[in-house]
Amino acid sequence: MKRPLLVLLAMMACATHLWAQRQVSGTVTDQEDGSALPGVNVLVSESQEGTITDIDGKYTIEVPQNATLTFSFIGYLSREIEVGNQSVIDVRLDSDVKQLQEVVVTALGVERETKALGYSITEVDGENLTEAREINVANSLAGRVAGVNVSGVASGPAGSTRVIIRGNKSLQGNNQPLYVIDGIPMDNSGFGQAGIWGGRDEGDGMSSINPDDIASITVLKGASSAALYGARAANGVINIVTKKGSSRKGIGVELNSNFVFEQINDQREFQRAYGQGNYVASDPNDPESTRIAVAPRTQQEAYDWGTSSWGPKLGSVGESVQFDGVSRPYRDAGDNWDRYFRTGSTLTNTIALTGGSETQNFRFSFSDLRNQSIVPQSGFNRQNVSLSTNSKFGERLTFSSRVLYSHEFADNRPYLSDSPANGILAMYYIPANMNVDNYYGDPNKPGAIPPGTDENSLSIWGKIPGEEYQQANNNWHQNPWWTAYQFDNDDTRDRLLPSATLRYDITDFLWVQGRAGMDWYTRRETDLVPQGTGYQRGGSLTEGENRVREINMEWMLGFDQAFGKFNFNAFVGGNRMRRSNERIAATGNGFNVPFFEAITNTVTQNFQYGFSESGINSLFGSAEVSYNGILFLTGTARNDWFSVLNPDFNSILYPSVGGSFVFSDALNTLPDWLTFGKIRGSWAQVGNVTVDPYNTILTYSLKQPHVGIPLASFSSAGGNNGSIPNPTLQPLTSTEYEVGLDIRFFDNRLGLDLTYYDQVTTNDILRATISKASGFGSTVVNVGKLQNRGIEALLTATPVSGPLTWDVSFNFAKNENKVVSLIEGNDELIVEEPRTRTVFVKHIVGHPFGVLTGLVQKRSPDGQLVFDPNNGAPIQSDDYEIIGNSVPDWTGGINNSFTFKGFNLGALVDFKIGGDVYSGTNVRMTQAGLHQQTIQGREGQEPITVTGVAQNGKTESGDPIYEPFTKTLSPNEAQGYWSQMGNRVQDHFVYDASFAKLRQVTFGYIFPSSMLDKMPFQTLSLSFVARNLAILYKNVENIDPESSYQNGNGQGLDYFGMPKTRSYGFNLKVQF
Amino acid sequence: MKYIVKLTLCLLLTILLVAGCDTEELHNLNINPQAVTEIDLNYLFSAAELSIASNGGSGDNRYIDWRTNIGLASTAIQQLATPGGISANGNFYRHNEETSAAPFEFTYNDQLKNISEILRQTEPGGFDEGNKVNMRNAARILRAFSFQRLTDFYGSIPYFEANRGLEGINEGKQGILFPTYDKQSVIYADLLKELDEATAAMSASNPDDGFSKADMIYEGDIDQWKRWGYSLMLRLAMRASNVAPDMANTYVTKAVAGGVFTSNEDNVWIPMDVGPSEWQDQNGISRAFYPGDGGNPSFLSKTLIDFLKGANPNDVADDDPRLMILSGGIAKWDAAAWTPITTDPLEQRGLPNGFFTSDIEAMEGGPVVLEETFSRINYLMLDDNDPYMIMNYAEVEFLLAEALERGIGTGIAGTAQTHYEAGVKAAMQMYAPYDPSLTVADEEVATYLAQYPYGVYKPALEMIGEQMWVSKFFNWWEAWSDWRRTGYPQLVAFTSDETNVTGGTIPVRLQYPATEVAANPNFNQANNNNYTSPVWWDGGTE
Repeated sequence: MKRPLLVLLAMMACATHLWAQRQVSGTVTDQEDGSALPGVNVLVSESQEGTITDIDGKYTIEVPQNATLTFSFIGYLSREIEVGNQSVIDVRLDSDVKQLQEVVVTALGVERETKALGYSITEVDGENLTEAREINVANSLAGRVAGVNVSGVASGPAGSTRVIIRGNKSLQGNNQPLYVIDGIPMDNSGFGQAGIWGGRDEGDGMSSINPDDIASITVLKGASSAALYGARAANGVINIVTKKGSSRKGIGVELNSNFVFEQINDQREFQRAYGQGNYVASDPNDPESTRIAVAPRTQQEAYDWGTSSWGPKLGSVGESVQFDGVSRPYRDAGDNWDRYFRTGSTLTNTIALTGGSETQNFRFSFSDLRNQSIVPQSGFNRQNVSLSTNSKFGERLTFSSRVLYSHEFADNRPYLSDSPANGILAMYYIPANMNVDNYYGDPNKPGAIPPGTDENSLSIWGKIPGEEYQQANNNWHQNPWWTAYQFDNDDTRDRLLPSATLRYDITDFLWVQGRAGMDWYTRRETDLVPQGTGYQRGGSLTEGENRVREINMEWMLGFDQAFGKFNFNAFVGGNRMRRSNERIAATGNGFNVPFFEAITNTVTQNFQYGFSESGINSLFGSAEVSYNGILFLTGTARNDWFSVLNPDFNSILYPSVGGSFVFSDALNTLPDWLTFGKIRGSWAQVGNVTVDPYNTILTYSLKQPHVGIPLASFSSAGGNNGSIPNPTLQPLTSTEYEVGLDIRFFDNRLGLDLTYYDQVTTNDILRATISKASGFGSTVVNVGKLQNRGIEALLTATPVSGPLTWDVSFNFAKNENKVVSLIEGNDELIVEEPRTRTVFVKHIVGHPFGVLTGLVQKRSPDGQLVFDPNNGAPIQSDDYEIIGNSVPDWTGGINNSFTFKGFNLGALVDFKIGGDVYSGTNVRMTQAGLHQQTIQGREGQEPITVTGVAQNGKTESGDPIYEPFTKTLSPNEAQGYWSQMGNRVQDHFVYDASFAKLRQVTFGYIFPSSMLDKMPFQTLSLSFVARNLAILYKNVENIDPESSYQNGNGQGLDYFGMPKTRSYGFNLKVQF
Repeated sequence: MKYIVKLTLCLLLTILLVAGCDTEELHNLNINPQAVTEIDLNYLFSAAELSIASNGGSGDNRYIDWRTNIGLASTAIQQLATPGGISANGNFYRHNEETSAAPFEFTYNDQLKNISEILRQTEPGGFDEGNKVNMRNAARILRAFSFQRLTDFYGSIPYFEANRGLEGINEGKQGILFPTYDKQSVIYADLLKELDEATAAMSASNPDDGFSKADMIYEGDIDQWKRWGYSLMLRLAMRASNVAPDMANTYVTKAVAGGVFTSNEDNVWIPMDVGPSEWQDQNGISRAFYPGDGGNPSFLSKTLIDFLKGANPNDVADDDPRLMILSGGIAKWDAAAWTPITTDPLEQRGLPNGFFTSDIEAMEGGPVVLEETFSRINYLMLDDNDPYMIMNYAEVEFLLAEALERGIGTGIAGTAQTHYEAGVKAAMQMYAPYDPSLTVADEEVATYLAQYPYGVYKPALEMIGEQMWVSKFFNWWEAWSDWRRTGYPQLVAFTSDETNVTGGTIPVRLQYPATEVAANPNFNQANNNNYTSPVWWDGGTE
């Protein structure tokens, strides 16, 4: 990936003009290894006309008499050569050792040499994010960085992403990293996730960012690297550096066009042999007679059995009546997902202008993204504008500023999890013999009952034309066309991220800097439940707006001086952060003028108001001493004061120390094949506060009066499940040490970066789920200890170098996580429960973070399975048992890239091994009779025989008496068996969530300059790009192993998320 | 240039001064501008009153009714019946987590939370110490009412340690987050003691302190509050009478001496409103049945219709006058209109309990449109702003009749028959608050009573039990408790669902919420965590 970038950079320098009198040609090579250097700037010094070398390092240029040529290339020392009479000039360039020293942006935007760092840091080049792109750029980090666990929510475009660095550090707080753009924190908080009762993923902050504006992303993984950023960096930092202008002649223009298609990666393997129906008495006059499977015979039956696939074998009857009263053939109706989901697309166009002189430069970009989701009527649009300027006034004063503006529009974010309004759930439930096109209803109002529908149908549905065309007798089960076309859940976000930095070099060794930045956005949302919807017949409409503002002001005073072989470098500084969030919304219920869905037309109206505000004041300092570029020692300290805590406990001071030793430079006796070697170590603490404002004081708030009588409640518990405030909350501390080795061989062709870390979070802030009999649902407490330790490894190699270059990098990470203690007297805490309400994600002392617990099939004391003697259904255990762990054991990725001439090919595979998912989708599909396993025991199949024991009475002491039990289940009993499975035997639906995915493939061609002569561009590159092409390995049925409906700490739960998609298309990049 | 340098330094100095220290301005950020640290406790009291009407106070006004009262009790006790919808759980004796969990999850977290705060702040150390005596003791009555209903569902529940999560908050201590469980026998004894103390402490001579404005039940009428307190005492005493006869004797005597309800004027109603939203302040029962929306089927059970049609189903003259009050007829009901198919009393039909649609079709010998075949709850009682019935005078008269029949307590004036007849009359005449047209004339009551002479038509206790059952239409959970205690009416259990969780019998308790079983280390009721173990007053474990 390096080479095309260099070519581009080089080509930005100048434009060719035919003016010369004769031709000079030659080859530019590396002084050391003689390899050809493409993209080298070749300039006629006198005229500033020039060209660049091609892929083989060759150039041809017209020169005047007595010309001088300048050869310059990033990372190499420039050379000037007088042409004289030569017509062939071959040049060898020496590498510029100083420039080659890798520099990364660390905390507070401070640039440091990589070798000085006492901790692991990973940089991802912006180029990796833009060719094959994700709307939410955080998803692009998947598989790229060791120890970084990225999981997108199954919610479609503009959904949010969960990024976990080195494991979950807090049991209950936000475990996601701090996002920083050019030194200024950005608010990544979302506006809601689907929960147990459904809802939508309202997206997070990162979807505002245009990947084209990103120069690089550095991931600060450990406490040491993040210690200076303060509390909010306790979970690591995603540090984004935006692109800047550079000094050049004229204005450079860059165009990037990206178009990708998106298709469902359908994971379903449902049974398609049995259709809609249910079991009824075989003798109509005897309700006690044997029950047999029948297809709906009446419209009422079809309506009642709308989600029941327990009918007879397809083809066993000619036709069955459907919910609309029409009889249709009782056979496989084909794939409904093809009929409903469409091919999505995303078109992104970006134009960037750069220019500048030695003292002033700028970069401006505009980007437009248009997405159509795979769900009809749903999509996401985004426009980004960015402007970045850098100015130098005289020798000592520099000023830089940048403004990012984004305008985002999310159209109809899909409902997830529980059924109300979840059209995707409805798409799962459709029996094999039914065609979703027949649910369409009114052609002018998709999903609605057509005008002129007969009275009998209306009577069965209890509905009138224009209302939801329900296909099942369940008001909470929506028609998928209705949710797509009649619901309206839009949000528009306007976001401004300005920042400015002023730096003054007081002397050569003393500098002072001030920086201010803001993250300000409004989010305007419209949320319509249309009139006539099953579960809310009157309909409702909310019009609301949030205003969020975070301002950071920071100053720093720095010192940088060398004394002989020693170099000192230190700074002190302060930061002031203020954040506020205000919400104003109006909700109306019911519409006076039918089907006219405007807020002023609502029957009853109420408003909501919310406000919260918080701040952190900080002082920090850092000092580094180094010896001869070999030995580095750094110490930092930071003190934060938090507004959200009681002033008695609101302060925390935390230090870090780190060092590195470059033994390859220090020792002379090392063999030649060892290019570079460094060991590093660090120890650090970071304080953190994961408490929302107003959680430390018991207060009361007023509620909407009832019949004119004022009502009040606890502010923290206006409804059910409120929280008990805690005035004694203190910041939590995570203490981490890490050691690492960075070693490179054979001229950097092989490299290994290894890290081991051990981290303990103490005084963790838990939102503990408590007994509801306490009067509250939870409280925030300050106990608990969580340990994370693990290794991270990055292996890089260039097995083939030359015209064909093959680079490969392999990263993997293993994190072991253990809950050491929880709140006093309690070894278990509930984190989350899924809609099936049979499984709990829990923290249990001595076990990893967030284990899945559930009831399993009961066993007799001698270990036999216990069944219900009446119907052969499994009997459930008395106690909850651990049935899985949501957190993967290993994560990693393999990235291959090949370049040959102008061609490049890249492929990224990422994997997560271990970790489990409890699939509510499979539970429900088993109950509905669509899961493949429900074939077993049906009519015409081998019957199910259960063998074990059954309880027969109790002993005198109350212990159950078990007797051997075996039963062959009739088809009707088999239905009961499968229906009960999800309620009673949870481990049956826990799957290994391991996977390997072909995450990204790119295949590109950079057109050689010779081909561009006749065209007005300097560079032209075209790539085929694809994301999420294939799941190479998985162990879970019917769903994507990454399927999750939320990004909170209750992971490992699947329940009717949006199907994952694969995307593929083209990326075109042109420079003028 | 110099100007820029100076500006820079000034700017940096300013930032230095405002950042990096622990300032008053920082602390003040944590003061919520929308909240207060002390409040008029009457506002919490009003919220608690609203809450006893199906959680109106927490803005979730139908949840507990929807899930438990309608979802289980209405069909299990055979006043409603349905092959589908939420109340199919009670109809077929199925398990549903929400049905089982709702009372536990909502009662402690709603009215009991507010009431315990009222008690805490009016006790020593509270910000309203010693004030609002009448309101405080009215809150204790609401508390007893709520705990009685809660323990009747589950038996042993957290009581003494319940709602103490805030204890010690001002001293920086942790309250009781995981309360222990108390035996129902102990809870009943304490609730009766509470009612005794609370009624005694209320007095018209105490200052009103805003109580009458806050009280949406009696507008601060102390005599009525006392009567409710004693009526509740009577209910609790009688409910425990099978297993704790001495306690029943003592408290029935006390209740009668203190003065129980004397007319329908004393009935406890919570006023309801049309909005502001369908989740708030509306009548939760009405909303649950609202067609298409709450959408729960509102078919009356065959058991109820047959009872209301009297001894001869083909004779209108012997019908219960409530037949066409509770039934609005066989009718289509959609958002636009209630369209009766027939309101002829002779044509009214109840839906059998425990039947699937296919069973009904088998019974009818062909396809059935349920709406055109079976009677439904009268839509006139299902308006969003219809008041919510909490407890009524008729129950008191029936309990007095029973007490006299069984010789429980002393000092009850009159005969069992007079109390029975007063109860029937009151029950028949208590529906006017739903709609002025829902009235029964005195003569109709007299005719009815004459046709079914007390103790003659059926044994007295059975007649009392049946009348109490029918008087608790809408209060299905209370009818369920009465049936569990008395065995009346004699119901025949039936379910077509082979996956039922009771082995085909009518449930006699609720399971505990899974969250409680999974989260509370003090949970110790594994043996009773089912639908078939009776609670203490029903002959089960203490």
